Amino acid sequence: MKVNPLKRGFLFLMGDEKRQRISIPLFAIVLSLLAGSVVLLILGKNPLVAFTSFLQGSGLLPKASYAGKKSMLTDFMSLVNAWTPMLFASLSVAVAFKSGLFNIGVSGQMLLSGLVATVTVGYSDLPAVVAKPLVVIIGMAVGAAVAALIGFLKHKWNINEVVSAIMLNYIFRYAGSFVIKYYLADPVSRQSKAINASARLSLMDTPVGDLKMEIPLGIVLALVAVVLVQFLFQKMRLGFEFRAIGANPKAARYVGINVGRNLVVTMALSGALAGLAGVTYYLGYYGSIQPDVLISTGFDAIAVSLLGNSNPIGIIFSSFLITVIDKGSTYMSSTVGVRQEISSLITGLILLFAACGAFFSYLINRSRQRARDALAQSTSAQGKGEQA
Amino acid sequence: MSDEYIVEMRHITKRFPGIVANDDISLGIKKGEIFVLLGENGAGKSTLMSMLFGMYEPDEGEIYVRGKKEHISSPNYATRLNIGMVHQHFKLVQNYTIAENIILGIEPKVRLGGILPVVDIKGSNKRIAELSARYGLEVDPTQKIEDVNVSTQQRVEILKMLYREAEILIFDEPTAVLTPQEIDFLLQIIRNLRDGGKTIILITHKLEEIKQVADRCAILNRGRLIDVLDVPSTSTQTMANLMVGREVDLTVEKNPANFGPEVLKVSHLTVKNADHFPVVKDVSFSVRGGEVFAIAGVSGNGQTEIADAIAGMLEAEEGSITLSGQDITHATVREREEAGVAYIPEDRQSVGLILDFDLADNLGLKNYYRAPFCNRGILNRAEFLRYGKELIDRYDIRSGQGVQTVVRSMSGGNQQKAIIAREIDQDCALMIFVQPTRGLDIGAIENIHRQILAERDKGRAVLLISLELDEIMALADTIGVIYNGELLKTAPADSLTTNEVGQFMMGVKQHEG
Amino acid sequence: MTILNTMIIDGLSFALPLFIMAIGGIYSERSGVTNLAIEGLQGMGAFSGALAATLVSGMFAAGSQAPMFIAMVFAMLGAMIYSLIHAVLCVKFKANQVISGVVINILATALTTFLTSQLNATVFGAPSNKFVLTTSTRFSVPGISQIPVVGAVFTNIYPFELVIVVVALVAWYVLYKTRFGMHLRACGDNPHAVDAAGVEVGRVRFGAVMVSGALSGLGGICFAYSISAQFSPSIYMGYGYLAIAALIFGNWQIMPTLGACLIFGLARSGGFALTQVLGLPSAFSDLFMTLPYLITLLLLIFFSKSNRAPRALGEIYDKGKR
Repeated sequence: MKVNPLKRGFLFLMGDEKRQRISIPLFAIVLSLLAGSVVLLILGKNPLVAFTSFLQGSGLLPKASYAGKKSMLTDFMSLVNAWTPMLFASLSVAVAFKSGLFNIGVSGQMLLSGLVATVTVGYSDLPAVVAKPLVVIIGMAVGAAVAALIGFLKHKWNINEVVSAIMLNYIFRYAGSFVIKYYLADPVSRQSKAINASARLSLMDTPVGDLKMEIPLGIVLALVAVVLVQFLFQKMRLGFEFRAIGANPKAARYVGINVGRNLVVTMALSGALAGLAGVTYYLGYYGSIQPDVLISTGFDAIAVSLLGNSNPIGIIFSSFLITVIDKGSTYMSSTVGVRQEISSLITGLILLFAACGAFFSYLINRSRQRARDALAQSTSAQGKGEQA
Repeated sequence: MSDEYIVEMRHITKRFPGIVANDDISLGIKKGEIFVLLGENGAGKSTLMSMLFGMYEPDEGEIYVRGKKEHISSPNYATRLNIGMVHQHFKLVQNYTIAENIILGIEPKVRLGGILPVVDIKGSNKRIAELSARYGLEVDPTQKIEDVNVSTQQRVEILKMLYREAEILIFDEPTAVLTPQEIDFLLQIIRNLRDGGKTIILITHKLEEIKQVADRCAILNRGRLIDVLDVPSTSTQTMANLMVGREVDLTVEKNPANFGPEVLKVSHLTVKNADHFPVVKDVSFSVRGGEVFAIAGVSGNGQTEIADAIAGMLEAEEGSITLSGQDITHATVREREEAGVAYIPEDRQSVGLILDFDLADNLGLKNYYRAPFCNRGILNRAEFLRYGKELIDRYDIRSGQGVQTVVRSMSGGNQQKAIIAREIDQDCALMIFVQPTRGLDIGAIENIHRQILAERDKGRAVLLISLELDEIMALADTIGVIYNGELLKTAPADSLTTNEVGQFMMGVKQHEG
Repeated sequence: MTILNTMIIDGLSFALPLFIMAIGGIYSERSGVTNLAIEGLQGMGAFSGALAATLVSGMFAAGSQAPMFIAMVFAMLGAMIYSLIHAVLCVKFKANQVISGVVINILATALTTFLTSQLNATVFGAPSNKFVLTTSTRFSVPGISQIPVVGAVFTNIYPFELVIVVVALVAWYVLYKTRFGMHLRACGDNPHAVDAAGVEVGRVRFGAVMVSGALSGLGGICFAYSISAQFSPSIYMGYGYLAIAALIFGNWQIMPTLGACLIFGLARSGGFALTQVLGLPSAFSDLFMTLPYLITLLLLIFFSKSNRAPRALGEIYDKGKR
């Protein structure tokens, strides 16, 4: 069998199945950055300058100049503030995905968690030490309850979790809009009134030295969650059961795992993380809720999680990257003069190529398998020849 | 010579990784005859016919159709040569009517109002009803597939071939899924088809049917052609001897039995499948310690469902299951495991193993939740690795990277070894083996047979379910023969001959003893 | 009486675009390809159509309806071309169909938003995130429109409603009466049977997804004309997902899906009407909008037996596996 050197080189670079977990997402990123560069070149801009300014805008590289009380650190902190919900949301998707389920309802769960926490705690006079933990707990509980319902519907009536989650998404979106417009609306901003600082999970405009910065408390929780989820899947019995169900539900049943109960539990966990994404977004990063929209975070998270191979560590990187592209776009737009919407375009392309990952991996492994089969065939044919 | 045969296969050899499915087979089929391919599971009958139908291509040898050498590259090409095949698994669209299924792919068109082309369902219904009547198929073309029974679905497959003007009709184990009455009906249809000038090739291992309809019969064994016989002048006995009566090359040293107390007791067990159709009917038997109780039967007669019901994977509709005096009829899978049921399932890849997990995890699958593998919800990976290594050494499981090997990459024989090692090491009072040697090579089979007997000699109760009569005759102390969900005969193994068992399996002898 | 008329008129003008998108979804799903991409496809269609309309608007006299029909053609073309991504990913690349759908939606939003801003800035020299469309003139059928209640159906009709009715009829005919339709529906039930009958499963599914793209695109541009008379990122309101709810509600069949769309459309306009009549704040109409989803969800729970998705939906067809 002849393999052209380009293909062989590519196969070698992509490596075996283990290495592909890293090499394929990287390949997807490189591909989309190349595509982004082509667009930038067509617009007559220098892609390198553009990509540098993405990093400058998100506080990873120093800008030429800063406004008062701002620095690279403040930029970075506000990046982290935006990153937190994305990290939670992607973890949420990953937890469900490990058990073979899609949680496409993350956006809806985020909205409801944020809304319930806003209504119950957001405008209360509770002191910060009580309010903040309460927001976190309510967020987790609401998210968990909604997602557990989705898991239960699948377990009990075999209703596809994607379908029920979509229905719930829109039920929450419209019901939420009603509550916001009717009870919570701020007449000027037309969105929910800003919550009290005591309930807010991000400390805004906090003076640190001679700077004023955002301090997202949620990121600590998010990083803890990463560790916990990793621990759950690597070390814990429950995670082992989730993985077993995700990999082969029939075998899981055969070894005595209660598949139905685990469906509900795994969705509840996923929902709790989605709830955390909700409160860190609406009561952290954003501080208010817009009516009439489901934020895209929950949908992006599906692809971000895929890009990170549903692995908590991988997700740290993939969600960070996507947030950098998003947050850095404003500065990029102002320095390079390209519409900032190009950032979502690049993100979209990354996700598109990541979705092709399974195909790349299929192609690579098929080529490898063919080589192996050919080898086995020739040796077995030889063996037969010798016997005869 | 070629003129005599409508199909001639010369020196056909087909290899799959690890086995030679067809080894230098040459045979000719005459126009207008009913020709049977007889042989046990894995004898290579289906493979041979799949090549005639273009699903595989032979590695060596040539196929002649109507005297012309043909390179049959696809089923479509076979259809063009007027060859049709009814597969074991029907390929029907469930929510379509019978007529729609038959015309699928070659739909006739009419022009509605002289303009709009539409599929001509009405005309098709009429033509199919005629075709059905001509061969006595008794099919209503307007019924939906999901509303008709298996027997009718099979006749739809036959009509599909006839509608495509097939002259050579291949049937792959057509009676495996039918009741005795339906079998009679089918055989009559097959005779009608022959009388209508069609050539029939029948793949089967049921002797009675052959005797009833066949003109000639080719006997295959382990991929080789043993003989081609003229059926009317040959006795069933002779055919049976040729099919299974060869010297058994799987002789196993077997110690005299030493039965202990009753371990498993199954009383009046009835199990229904997903469609609420009873597949196990009022089955009762018991297995003692130190006994190999084997259930013999043709595939799909309810034997795997019995195993699933005992292991807790399927619910018992009626009846009870007792293990060492403890009623486990409604226990969960895990409770049964802990009570002492070890289970080697039929489908090792999709049930017995998690292919994407490594060997250590798979070997620990039955223990992962308890000490020392798990303490307070935290897994002890070191224990998995240690235990895995221990089993690998003790049971000689071969894998590329030891305990860290992803099971998907292991050979079938070693995958099975891993399951058996895991289950045996559970130290259970009852061991259920379903088709433990399916698809394995001779070496692996011998090894597994020795292990089964070793378990028996340790005093465990062994329930063996197998489609291989040789295996059952070699290992069993007691044999139960299942047919159509019922246990027709239960008797000590040494009181039965292979042929007797075979006849019960084929439902020839009914209810004795 | 006028309120009832308004309700019927508005209900229809919402239900019909929804219906044509749902038919697209039915094509894709009946062939066995899960299609969550409708939302993105309709957006891409609205974008392509609006762009075409903007480009040609100078060639026609003010008030001419020609740009709208050109927009419809380009909306179908644009969305169909874009749907090729879903087809390639699902059919050829054997990617996960749910993920593919989600990614296509994300990319559609990003791509159309970027292109709209960029084209407005560089080509049309006016920084804006929308393409403004000419308002579509509506017409009433003389005579019949005067009949009480029933007449409302023929009153203040958008021209696109007629187009949709015609396209829907053709779509119904193709799906249920032609060879292609027969192959398509069979692919969603048992692709192996289709393959055995000598029909290429991949090709049929490819075609089905493309039809789904074209019809979603048509739905998208109609929404752009009727709801806001412009294309802007607000086109991504989730109507694509509502179309999915409608086709599930309609059990993946065209006529019941029309029923579902009419119910959804009338529930929406009825909600608006009711809030007006009762003098409720407009926020209440949002509450009525939960109804379609709520009903669909309950339907799934209570009629999970009679509601049947195509058997092979979401299954990746691998010829080698038997």
